[in-house]
Amino acid sequence: MTVWRKLLRHRLGAVGLAMLAVAVLVAIFAAVIAPYDPYENVRVSIDDIYQSPSPQHLLGTDDAGKDVFSGLVYGARVSLLVGFAGAFISLIVGGVIGLVAGFKGGRLGNGLMRFTDFFLVIPELALQIVIVAIIGQSLRNIILVIGLLGWTTSARLVRAQTLSVRARKFVERARAVGASDLYILRRHIFPQVVPLMLANAVLTISLAILAESTLAFIGLGDPTVISWGQMLNFAFTRGAVSAGAWWALVAPGLAIVWVVLGVTLLGNALEDLLNPRRGRHFLEPEPAMPAEETVGPAAERGAPAVLAVQDLAVEFVVAGARMRAVDGTTFSVRKGEALGLVGESGSGKTTAMLAALRLLPPGGEVVGGSVLLGGQNVFALTADELRDVRWTRMAMVFQGAMNALNPVRTVEDQIVEAISLHDPDLSKSAAQERAAHLLEVMGIDADRGSEYPHQFSGGMRQRAMIALALACDPDVIVADEPTTALDVMIQAQILELLKKLQRELGMALVLITHDLGVVAESCDRVVVMYGGIVAEQGTVEEVYSDPQHPYTKLLMEAFPDMEDPDRPLVSIPGLPPRLDRLPPGCRFAPRCPAAFDRCQVERPPSYVLSPGREASCFLLESRQVVGV
Amino acid sequence: MRGRLVLRKLGWALVTLVVVATFNFMLFRVLPGDPAKAGLRDPRLNQEAVEAARIRFGLDKPVFVNLEGGSPFDSQFFRYIGSLAEGDLGTSYAFNNRAVSDLLGRALVNTIWLVLPAQILAIVLGVVMGLVAAWKRGTAIDVGSLLFALFMWALPTFFLAILLLFFGGRWLGLPTGGRVTLGATYESGWEQAVDILRHLLLPTIGFALVLIGEYLLVMRSSVMEVFGEDYIQTAKAKGLSTIQIIRKHAFRNAMLPIVTLIALNLGFTVSGAIQVETVFSWPGLGKLTVDAVSQRDYPVLQGTFLLLAVAVIVANLIAELVYLRLDPRVTEV
Amino acid sequence: MSEGAAVVRPVTEPVVILDDVAVSFARGRRLVDVFRRRPGSVVQAVDGVSLELRPGEVLAIVGESGCGKTTTANLIMGLLRPSRGRVIVDGQDLAGLAESDRRRRRRRMQMVFQDPYESLNPRMTVGEIVAEPLQVHRATATRGESETLVLQALERAGLRPAERFLAVRPVELSGGQRQRVVIASALVLEPQVIIADEPVSMLDVSIRADILNLLASLATKQDIAIVMITHDMSTVAAFSDRVAVMYLGRVVETGPSRQVLTSPRHPYTQALVSVVPVPHPSRRRPPLVLVGETPDPSRIPPGCRFHPRCPVAFARCPQVDPPLFDVGGGQKAACLLVGG
Repeated sequence: MTVWRKLLRHRLGAVGLAMLAVAVLVAIFAAVIAPYDPYENVRVSIDDIYQSPSPQHLLGTDDAGKDVFSGLVYGARVSLLVGFAGAFISLIVGGVIGLVAGFKGGRLGNGLMRFTDFFLVIPELALQIVIVAIIGQSLRNIILVIGLLGWTTSARLVRAQTLSVRARKFVERARAVGASDLYILRRHIFPQVVPLMLANAVLTISLAILAESTLAFIGLGDPTVISWGQMLNFAFTRGAVSAGAWWALVAPGLAIVWVVLGVTLLGNALEDLLNPRRGRHFLEPEPAMPAEETVGPAAERGAPAVLAVQDLAVEFVVAGARMRAVDGTTFSVRKGEALGLVGESGSGKTTAMLAALRLLPPGGEVVGGSVLLGGQNVFALTADELRDVRWTRMAMVFQGAMNALNPVRTVEDQIVEAISLHDPDLSKSAAQERAAHLLEVMGIDADRGSEYPHQFSGGMRQRAMIALALACDPDVIVADEPTTALDVMIQAQILELLKKLQRELGMALVLITHDLGVVAESCDRVVVMYGGIVAEQGTVEEVYSDPQHPYTKLLMEAFPDMEDPDRPLVSIPGLPPRLDRLPPGCRFAPRCPAAFDRCQVERPPSYVLSPGREASCFLLESRQVVGV
Repeated sequence: MRGRLVLRKLGWALVTLVVVATFNFMLFRVLPGDPAKAGLRDPRLNQEAVEAARIRFGLDKPVFVNLEGGSPFDSQFFRYIGSLAEGDLGTSYAFNNRAVSDLLGRALVNTIWLVLPAQILAIVLGVVMGLVAAWKRGTAIDVGSLLFALFMWALPTFFLAILLLFFGGRWLGLPTGGRVTLGATYESGWEQAVDILRHLLLPTIGFALVLIGEYLLVMRSSVMEVFGEDYIQTAKAKGLSTIQIIRKHAFRNAMLPIVTLIALNLGFTVSGAIQVETVFSWPGLGKLTVDAVSQRDYPVLQGTFLLLAVAVIVANLIAELVYLRLDPRVTEV
Repeated sequence: MSEGAAVVRPVTEPVVILDDVAVSFARGRRLVDVFRRRPGSVVQAVDGVSLELRPGEVLAIVGESGCGKTTTANLIMGLLRPSRGRVIVDGQDLAGLAESDRRRRRRRMQMVFQDPYESLNPRMTVGEIVAEPLQVHRATATRGESETLVLQALERAGLRPAERFLAVRPVELSGGQRQRVVIASALVLEPQVIIADEPVSMLDVSIRADILNLLASLATKQDIAIVMITHDMSTVAAFSDRVAVMYLGRVVETGPSRQVLTSPRHPYTQALVSVVPVPHPSRRRPPLVLVGETPDPSRIPPGCRFHPRCPVAFARCPQVDPPLFDVGGGQKAACLLVGG
């Protein structure tokens, strides 16, 4: 099985597994390994007591003159038995209660959870002590008590997991198909919950082992069996400290640590594997930037560009493999211009803009090209210079405004923070005034600035995010899918606002979107990206009335036009290229109806068709204009 | 909106309290063994004396509801609840018939002396180390702290206490048991304070070390989670430095799970106290519990039990209220 | 009435009729409400909706979030019982049917969800997913029979060669292929009705047309009635026969899709149509952007529920709740300017 293999490759997990395996083997073959039988009654003389380690007694002797090493070996049996059996009981009880509570919800579910809460309040060890003291100190009783009192953690975990699986769409679909509760539990919920229960089971075992040793140490162990806790209890209460017999204390203690640590490492590894954490970490140190390159004259044409991206190349390192997400992309935006960056998922449009602000997620790395922001190469800036440039020259409206705002700080506070950061001389009240003004501009009542993001509707959150982007009066605003996931009317409101702001403030706007209609409505120029390269760019009029690249043409034909509902919509056959398997020639060749041999092996350069109008397709080679 | 939430939490804590008190009463009745016989098993007592004691402790009354005439509330249960309301926890069987509340009060103070500094130490160190480990993810610092935390977690509390007692006492000459040096006379209050502090040192360190591991682990994973949130990217884009981002955006969000953990940990603190106090003969609640168990002193056990549960309920309540303040999103229970 | 004895019905007879249905959800009576002796607030999710669904036709239900389109879909599916009005399936009132009969009816109603990445269980193979409805309804006697039906359904959903997909898990498929798997598992029980909830909104533009064309061909070639829930007006125009525009739990305008979209009569429809971006810069026109957001469905405005946001509202609008007025050609609009 693959989990098995992954576990062995997980270093700490493999170590844990090995530690546990050693303990289990020792327990099974105790009779073979132990030099003496600790259950055997032998006469001892006073000299046998607390003998220091010697070849006869590897770990010395205890208060009764018995071999500590043999005690350890036989003690493994008791500790592991209590651990496994106790955990088993906890898991069954907790699992059933958690599953029912999570799946049924409502009164029954709530009631069960309240019941669990009561148990969480009762100090477990104190209760265990009292119950064992009263019902008697037999091994069976100890297992029962540990098992029956340890179920609460499993119950909570299983319930949380069940709740989240139950809310998933495929469960809803099964319900819509007409499946019964039992069927859904068996077929959809149980298989998803079991793996996590496994990781939990491992941790429960370690808790049970600890509980047994603690009870035994306090003197509530089964007096007829030898366990590590029991050995510590005898040593501690019968003079090992004053006799200086460290071996009688340290050996059983380390044995417990050995097993618990092994089990814990194993459990941690299982959890890592079954429930992998999001690998993102936005505060990781940035990889080195490419050496500064000379800026070609091609960047400057007409009005000076506020943002010029030149031959930008970005790679992602995933599991050791390098994948090129953006490959030699060149485009620019001028002051007062709205640029649409269009492409399907994976086309590199967002990555290119994140790279331009040096905000690539971990694993992302700029490997070539330059980004000029107001004439300054962003990649050549020091960390301090970069912080000064951010938000004052270029601000970004991130996709998904819900997550892009800090949930525990008020909206106004987050805007004020940006203003004060870049204008430290401004008084607090002046900054607040400006924040309130920006919110009003965005159509949000200034009073509501003191509210938290979750109190806003989706549309309002997006407005607040734009107000935040305006905080430092940037030269360029990048808006990443600003209207996705919003209702149509709200989409229209946001787009109108963006257009109005851009017109009135004269800033440059880069609109990242997959929606050709949005670009047609609100942009001056458009850059069409495909598989990390610019397929075509030009003014919106040019590109929409006379698309040159086969991809652009097909994309236009795939996009529905409400005013022309009779035009049949096409689908582009095949799938967008996978970054780890980029075609050697033209990125679009595998799906291109016009592709010929050369397209499969050679990458077409970007041909300049007229000033500002470029397309990357061999079919246009003869039409390029040289020396503009 | 949130005022009602606070009320609801308070109400819920009260309900839990009542349920726990009832459970506490039942536990000592349902379990096998007549408490009177258990408490009064001195063979010198004759039948009459036992009967007298039964009447004195109210054990002759019906358990739950009095249906034998008289007030229906004249039962063991309602007497118990009634005296609880007056703060009367009964008298000890074993400790010279002293009032349980008196015994508990003294023990509680000692336990707080032990637990509070240890908790604070563990929280501060655990949070800081967890933060650093997450920040320096994948480095030697991170792996080192992770292993340290896991090892501490795997170490049984009583074993760690024994190690400290054995080696601390031997090599550092620190006192290894009790609260004060027996038979010592002090020339000043200062001297007495120093003596108590010296006695406190080892148990506190032991306790703190045991707690640190879990705080470190939870903080580490919580911070890592937060570092991947979109609003951290926003803060970075705004031009904040890493330190500013951690201070203003990451820390508070990352602390949310810690707050819950601190409250839940109180249950563990109790079990930790039992172990540490047993090893160091520290006269706190934990030692009282163990002593009461060995003496089968039910009123004291019942009292400690209730007190421990109340402590956990109160701590949970405080944690929930703190959580409410920290996280404005919470509007539902 | 048992399944086998189904009457042969004329093609034009509706499969599903919603007759003035309403659904309200109690928003829970809180403790404060109990003390003050008042009922908990009630959310009118759907309030007086009448719709007819015919075999072979694609009906689009359009509206913003909170307009009641999902509740309407659940009513058609029989997953919700109306608090008022009747849901008639194949000429039979669902209210009069026993639970077992309702379940059997449900076989003929299948659903296609919005998110093909989430609506497939990652641990099951495509073969298992498509066979699931058969299993749940114990519709096939043998394994072989079940496999034949699964293969047929995959073929009909455009996954060819079907055999190659049987053992594949959803992770290995693209978004478009996953949505086809969802459609195949809807087809396997030979449904009369398929409800598609935003079936392409999560897919890349370049493959949307395929899925929409597939759904449309299921309607025309196999006489399945399709309900398409969407907010995208441009797909409505291209892929549906009739449209119902909903606002706050009401159908405010309905009729043949082309007609409604080219000459909308209700101000809300007019606004919705005007804000659809046209994919050509030369045809830009000023959109009619409504201010504000859709109100909370627990606080429905009096009179015409659209009047607070309506750009052409006049004095009578807050007083009169307009019914659907016939404007000819099968088009109806609930606006006083049309019929009052």
